[in-house]
This record gives sequence, C-alpha cells and structure tokens, in this order.
Amino acid sequence: MAFLIVAPHRLNGYFVNLIYITLVYVGLAYGWNIISGYAGYFSFGQITFFGLGAYATGFAINAFHVYWMLAALAGGILACAFAFPLGYVMLRLRGPFFAMGMFGMAQTVRVLITALPATGAGAGLFLPPGSDVTSVYYWTLAVALGAIALTIWIDRSAFGLRLQALREDEQVAGTLAVDVTRDKIAAFALSALIPGLLGGGFIYFLNYIEPDAAFSSRFDLQSIVMAILGGVGTVWGPLIGGVLMTQISEALWAKFPQFYLMLFGGLLVALLILLPHGIVPALKRRYE
Amino acid sequence: MTVVQLVVNGLLLGGVFALSALGFNIIYGVMRVVNLAHGDVVVIAAMVCALAFGALGLNPLVLLPVAVAGGFVLGAAIHRLLLRRLPAETASTEASSLTLTFGLSFFLAGGGLALFGGSFRSVPFLTGAFDVGGISIPQAKLLAFALALVLAAALAAFLRFTAAGCAIRATSQHLEGALACGVDIDRVRTLSYGLGTAVAAAAGALMSMIYNLNPQMGVQFTVNAFAVVVIGGLGSYAGCVLGALVLGLANAFTSYFVGASLAEAAPYVLFILVSLLMPSGLLGRRTA
Repeated sequence: MAFLIVAPHRLNGYFVNLIYITLVYVGLAYGWNIISGYAGYFSFGQITFFGLGAYATGFAINAFHVYWMLAALAGGILACAFAFPLGYVMLRLRGPFFAMGMFGMAQTVRVLITALPATGAGAGLFLPPGSDVTSVYYWTLAVALGAIALTIWIDRSAFGLRLQALREDEQVAGTLAVDVTRDKIAAFALSALIPGLLGGGFIYFLNYIEPDAAFSSRFDLQSIVMAILGGVGTVWGPLIGGVLMTQISEALWAKFPQFYLMLFGGLLVALLILLPHGIVPALKRRYE
Repeated sequence: MTVVQLVVNGLLLGGVFALSALGFNIIYGVMRVVNLAHGDVVVIAAMVCALAFGALGLNPLVLLPVAVAGGFVLGAAIHRLLLRRLPAETASTEASSLTLTFGLSFFLAGGGLALFGGSFRSVPFLTGAFDVGGISIPQAKLLAFALALVLAAALAAFLRFTAAGCAIRATSQHLEGALACGVDIDRVRTLSYGLGTAVAAAAGALMSMIYNLNPQMGVQFTVNAFAVVVIGGLGSYAGCVLGALVLGLANAFTSYFVGASLAEAAPYVLFILVSLLMPSGLLGRRTA
C-alpha cells in the first residue's frame, strides 16, 4: 500500500505507467464483476461507460476549463446516470441477449461518436496540452481502491445477497420479495460508475481520445478475462486476476505484438477449460 | 428507380446473410451455444478463397466444397477438443460457452491477422453486371445469392429427410426427449457444431466474391448472424431467411440514405429493438 502511494515519486516512468495500466484494468475488472459476477448478467459492453466517461470529461475540460478531476468526476457521474435508463431497457434481456446487446451498445455508441463532428469524429478529441501523470495515477489508485471497498461492502451486504439470489434464479428471487428490477439496475449503475471515472482519467493521461481507443473491445476482453482468471463473483478475484494478467498481457504485447490477439484469445479458452472457476475459488476449495 | 435498385441489392445481400445465419441457428438450436466465433470462420474462409484465387487461379465455385469440408472438420474439432471439456454445470454453462467462443473469436481473428495481414482482400470473379430495365444486377452477387439458396435448401433437406438431420431437430426441440429415444447427444452436438461451421465457411467462400474483407471483420458477421436469428425467431429456419432479407434491406437502405459508417450500426439497433419489443422474433415460437 505504502509502495503504491510513493511509487510515482520513486520509480521511473515505465514502471509508473505499468502500475497505472494495471490499476485501470483492476478497476475495470471490479466494475464488470458487480453486474456480471454478483448479479450474473454477463456484459460484453461495459467499455461503453469507459468511453462515455472519457468523452464527457474531455468536453467538460474543453468547454468549462475546470480542473480535470472535477471533469472526470462529472464524467463518471454522467456514465452512471446514463446506466439507469439504459439498464431499465437492456436488463430486460437475459443471458446471451444481454451480453450481445451490450456489445452492440458499445459499437453503436462508437459508430455514433465517429460520425459526429462535434466529438472530433474519427480523428479524436484533443485536450489543451499539458498532462500530469502523477495526478492521474492517484486518481486511478483511488478509484481502484474505491471499487475494491465497494465490492467488499456488496459482498457483505443484504444488497449483495439479493444480487446473488437473482443471479441464481431471478424468478424465485422475485417471489421472495426481492425487487429484482431495482436491484439489478442499481448493480448496473455501480458497475458503470467505475469505468466512467477511469475513462475520465484515461483521456487526461493520453491528452486526447479517439473512438477506437475509448470503446476498445480489447480493453473489454482483457478485463473480463482478468475477472474470470481471478474468480467471477468473488471479492479478491478481479485484483489477483488483474495484477497477474496485466503483467502477462504487457509481456505478450511487448514480445509478440503480431500474435498478441491470438495468444490472448487462446489463453482465455485454455483458462475456461483448465481453471473454470478461477484462482480464488480454487484456493478456497483447497484450504477449506 | 433507386428504391427498386436498393431492394434488389438488399435481397441479394440477404441471401448470403441467410446462409451464414442458418449455420449459427443450428448451433444455437442444438447446443444453446451463441457461437461468437461464427463470423471469424466466415472471414477466414473468405481469406483462404481470395488467396487461392490469387495464387492458383481457383475460383470460389471450386473451393466451395473444400470450404464445406474444412469448416466441418474445424467445427467438429472445436467441439470435441474444447467445448465438450467445459465443466457441465447447470447455472453457468451458457455463460462459460459464450465466453469460450468469445476467446475463440479473438484467437481466430488474431490468427487470421498474423497469417494473412490486415489488408482487404476479395475475389475478382464475375465482375460484370446484368442490366434489367435500368436495374443493375452484379453477376457475382446473383451467383452468390443463388448458391446460398441452393445450399440452404440442401441443408433443409438434410435436416428434414436424413436420420442424422432428424436427430439434430429432435435434440434442439427437446433434449431429454431425444435422450430418451436413444439419440447420442454428444455425437449430435459434434455433428451440429461441424455442420454450423461448415455452413459458415461456405458463406465465407460466397462472401469473398461480393465483399472486400480483412481478418478483423469477423465480428460484423457474427453480429449479423445473431441479429438475423433474433429477428427471424430463434430456432425457426424460415424465420432465419426472412430475418436475413430484412437485415439485407436495412443494410442497403441505411447505407444509401445515412451513409456506410452509420449503416454499420443497423444490425445492432435492429437486434436490440426486436429482442426488446418482439422477443420471439417474426416467426419464432411463442414461448412464455
């Protein structure tokens, strides 16, 4: 912990960037884990909120010249607010329909933003020059820690129990006086807030954003793989999976860029067959 | 006149969409697996055809049987070696098979990218067009449309009149019933996955004549197939053809009136709307 706090002042740029990327992935994996792990609604489109957060932050900085963290906070809140009407509609879909519907949502928003001139279209949205990696680092660290704290709370709360009940059987949960619609929309909004806040940091980190980077299916795939590796619906799974996987992924990307996608996809397939429940449940089973 | 031309374009395109979606539908019907690697098989088959045409002068008509055989072997191998090894669990089977094919899709797309590079390819075969009263009908599109219909009819006949086809239909209608009648479910699944993949490869061979493709476009074809199946109604083969024609028309009209980049979003929007407003599709069985 102390290491993470002093890291930007002691380590060189490469390591700070590596920790930053790890924190982004860990945060994304925690966000996904709420709706998909606890509530059981597999989403292939949580990156929608990351992209929306990034673009909203960019707009707020350019239009109102506010301090970037305020803008990123607004971006996160906007992504979260957008999740309420979206969840109300999309969470009527189940299983693969929801997963694909969210994937479609991410692509639709990406296509719309690419088509709109106001967002800089395909060229991207640029911020005024001058970025400050250290502040982005602390922002992302805070968001990732917040996501972990949120998950610990969910895991222990009645809300979390209700989510797990609706994951196991939505109809039965409904008859047991769980307001399933309200609870799953709340879970969806929470799992949108985290990527929204992270997206706001990401645009400030890069100093610009383009649709393909903001709505990158690679980011989405990776964060899902991380949560699955660590253990879906567990408190520490996304952390363990995220830290491990980011290092593997960065090494693959550095050494075999042309085979990266293939290796990563293959890894996901192998993981599902060899370690279907993830690291945390496997360890629990061994030591209990 | 423009409208008639657009209708012709849309219908011709819809024929090939229908073939691809039939393969997707068989796999979903029998296995309840949403095969996210479907489009990648389509695109890889198209890449192989384009390369074979360039290097050896073999046209897609010659390669069509090769594509069918190759696709069948690939699909059967994927089922035997990967999908069948997923742990059998009632709660998360759908999610884990979905995630597995998600990883497989990245594996195939990445492999295609490493093998064939990112450039666009197609087969310049029958590039002329018939002129019927001012309406232009490209020969390659007409041929692809006709072949797609022939293959779809052959597939329908196989499912209808052979013992294996009967077993496939029985399994997709009622798993326990088929088991009770002595159907070897495991073999039927391998057969269906092989058959579905063979159909995808055949559709790819036809696509290579009418589309400029690169290995990263698989996702679009997966989404198209998924959208077609949802629009037509899951499990309905006639609905599949109807859905494909609807999607073909939607594609032709949106490309013309709002531009090709926004038309990319058409299948997503159609899919989300139909699954929300008409969950059983146009011709699907009404289930509570």
